[in-house]
Amino acid sequence: MFSAIRSGTVCGIGSHLVQVEVDLSKGLPCFQMVGLLSSEVREARERVRVALKNSGITLPPMCINVNLSPADLRKEGTMFDLPVAVGILICLGRISQDSAADTIFLGELGLNGEVKPVRGVLPIVTKAKESGLRRCILPKDNAMEGAVVGGIEMIGVASIAEAAAYLQGVEEGKEGLIAPVRIDVESLWEEREEQTPDLADISGQEAVKRAIEVAAAGFHHLLMIGPPGSGKTMLAKRIPSILPPLSLQESLEVSAVYSVSGLLHTSREILITKRPFLNPHHTITGQALAGGGRVPVPGIVSLSHRGILFLDELPEFKRETLDILRQPLEDRVVQIARSSGVYVFPADFMLVGAMNPCPCGYYPDMARCRCTPYEVRRYLGRISGPILDRIDICVEAMPLQFREIERSRTGESSARIRERVLRARQMQTDRFQGGNLRFNADMGAVDVERFCRLGTGERKYMERMFRAMHLSARGYHRILKVARTIADLAGEAAIREEHLAEAICYRQVNAKYE
Amino acid sequence: MVGDMTEKETEKAYIHWLYQAAGMGSRTFLRDLEQVGTARAVYEMAARGVLADRLQDRYRKKGGKLQNAVKDYDVIGRYEEMTARGISMVTCREEGYPRRLAAIQDAPYVLYYAGSLPDEERHCVAVIGARSCTEYGKAMAKEFGAVLARAGILVISGMARGIDGIGQSAALEAGGYSMGVLGCGVDICYPSENRALYERLLAQGGVCSEYPPGTAPKAVLFPPRNRIISGLCDGLLVIEAKERSGTLITVDMALEQGREVYAVPGRVTDALSAGCNKLIRQGAGLVAAPEEFLEDLQAETAGNTGRFLSGRQLSFQIEGTQMEGTQKELLKLLDFQPSSMEALQEAYEDAYGRSIGIPKLCHTLVQLCVDGYAGQIGGSYYLKRRT
Repeated sequence: MFSAIRSGTVCGIGSHLVQVEVDLSKGLPCFQMVGLLSSEVREARERVRVALKNSGITLPPMCINVNLSPADLRKEGTMFDLPVAVGILICLGRISQDSAADTIFLGELGLNGEVKPVRGVLPIVTKAKESGLRRCILPKDNAMEGAVVGGIEMIGVASIAEAAAYLQGVEEGKEGLIAPVRIDVESLWEEREEQTPDLADISGQEAVKRAIEVAAAGFHHLLMIGPPGSGKTMLAKRIPSILPPLSLQESLEVSAVYSVSGLLHTSREILITKRPFLNPHHTITGQALAGGGRVPVPGIVSLSHRGILFLDELPEFKRETLDILRQPLEDRVVQIARSSGVYVFPADFMLVGAMNPCPCGYYPDMARCRCTPYEVRRYLGRISGPILDRIDICVEAMPLQFREIERSRTGESSARIRERVLRARQMQTDRFQGGNLRFNADMGAVDVERFCRLGTGERKYMERMFRAMHLSARGYHRILKVARTIADLAGEAAIREEHLAEAICYRQVNAKYE
Repeated sequence: MVGDMTEKETEKAYIHWLYQAAGMGSRTFLRDLEQVGTARAVYEMAARGVLADRLQDRYRKKGGKLQNAVKDYDVIGRYEEMTARGISMVTCREEGYPRRLAAIQDAPYVLYYAGSLPDEERHCVAVIGARSCTEYGKAMAKEFGAVLARAGILVISGMARGIDGIGQSAALEAGGYSMGVLGCGVDICYPSENRALYERLLAQGGVCSEYPPGTAPKAVLFPPRNRIISGLCDGLLVIEAKERSGTLITVDMALEQGREVYAVPGRVTDALSAGCNKLIRQGAGLVAAPEEFLEDLQAETAGNTGRFLSGRQLSFQIEGTQMEGTQKELLKLLDFQPSSMEALQEAYEDAYGRSIGIPKLCHTLVQLCVDGYAGQIGGSYYLKRRT
């Protein structure tokens, strides 16, 4: 008695389909599982045996062999419990092999026979659909997540008995025993609510707000420097509100990352509809930041894909931890090499850093600052050069004056700023059409020369600035990139002197502290 | 070998040995040793192991230490090695020892120096102040350092971070002479960030110390060197100081030594000006402008040999040369204390009744910075600078 049914496993944020083959034969009673299994897959034996027993099916004293094919692919996760159990039921003749045709099974079993949610449903279902499978039997809690893919029937089951009953129904021609879960993604997308705090909540800090606007428009990484309590965190949290809304395509990318991290069904969301905002504590390890583990799972940088990675108290992060950011900042992906292969996770985020200007936080207010010039310099020196090099915009947040708090002059609303950002983004889309650049921040030295041409007057101006401000070649390019974004925000085709001047104001921090 | 050196030089080589061997804080001991004989005689006694017996009881232990220090010490070789490195020494018994310094109580027995010693005929002023200073302090140190140098006055200071170093750098920049008094050996640059200043002092001025070359900087060595700073100068100018600070210790020493003390006033609310304001209240000369200061100095030293060049008129007002309206307006709002971009935005609105956008503000400020009227501190702080 032999059966073969389909299931799948996650690998990075991609997935592979797996065939679960079960054979029951006479011989000494045993239950063996093979096929390069990690321990949580191997433990399926115990869960399946007990879950079947508690569902009223006692395994006969036979030799049970389970093979997960392809046998040279490492299998991870708990989603094989349900397919193994169903395979055994087929071998026992309780369900016909035909009823499981073109169907993929996913699910973890509890000892009482219930089916529990698993992670990575979204990528596996996507793969199943691409391979032409028609139906997916999966945990009830994951059904919505899988339904997003569309074009494949999602049957959510709560227990192994329910799955068996459904399949028996299929055999008898009663297809609709459990209604497939359907989601109209388009209308779901339309109805999504976007509730992010508004920039208008913050009074004052006009300079920082403007810098944030420029950063958002050109996807420039941003560093905010300011004394404690100047509202750096509050400002950072409001950046998503001025970024363009997440598109459906982007949402699917982000949701896939959250799905393999097992965060999608726990957050009771069907899709990630808001731009991610992640705010890891400075004690975070490099592994947690970049992703890792024996079986790599996405790290914070991947969870902030298409969103904001906010690092508060930047110099407090360990240097090695920050250095890990170099690859994602450069390539917008994280590669994690393991003996089982190289795992690639997306990591296209906007880095927003915040820090105090010195250990005590009050420099350059010398009446309060207790730090020596050496300490101030060393504090900035804790952030490695290569990371600072990727940060185009640097701005200082002021200590809040009582007048500002009192006056509560509400600033511009996020919606209005977003309109300008969208317009600037549109200009960038038009400019980079056909190329592989998306935003001004992505431009390399060659692209800067091509896309940031200066007029004669502006070139003269920059020549003066170059000497007066002791700019480096890299700093010069950075200023041009930011000036391009500022010109885009103003809706101008050419970069003008005032755009350059503003970009110079945002230049790098170590160039400013003497 | 001894034949190559004059009697005097040879004696100095032995003094160098004695000074190193006796250790720091042995000034009285060294003076008393002169009763025993020349340094060479002391060395020879120590080499024979009879020195300790020739000394008073309280110096027995030190005598033993000297006897031990004779071993493996090449007196002449070590001295020649030092002079070959450009380091000279002068003792207080010698011609060429700074006269002003010799007059103070507790003058160092030996002064090591590299570069040159200050000209006895010229006026010396010490420009001192806090290490961690404000932008105002920096601007003033720069101003006074330069003006004094241009007036032909020698600037003495401690080559420390902050006011000391800035004042000395400005003096050298203006083509003047400056002497750095160190709290370590003269062959050591401390703080290391003042490397450029140190090199320039060696070339254009001098550095001196009472400690033998190779002495590492230690906290306890610095307060005693302050008496040399005040000892070398005729007048002392305090730019910025907190109410309880090392700078005020130097001031106390200067007063004991009978030097004139001047201070640059500051705002009552500034912690870093509290020391200066207190000094003024106690009777220190109030210095509001360099030319006044020069006049005061001249009056003070009337009949003295101090030579002055004409003090340049100091103009904090900016001549409005081809500046556009917004720049002028903004410049009026800038201060020597840094103000934030927001504060400027607000002040602009209060003063002129219209608002100025961040982009326009940036543009104007950058222009002012490049033209040298303003400076950018940190990210978004701006202040007025002299042209």
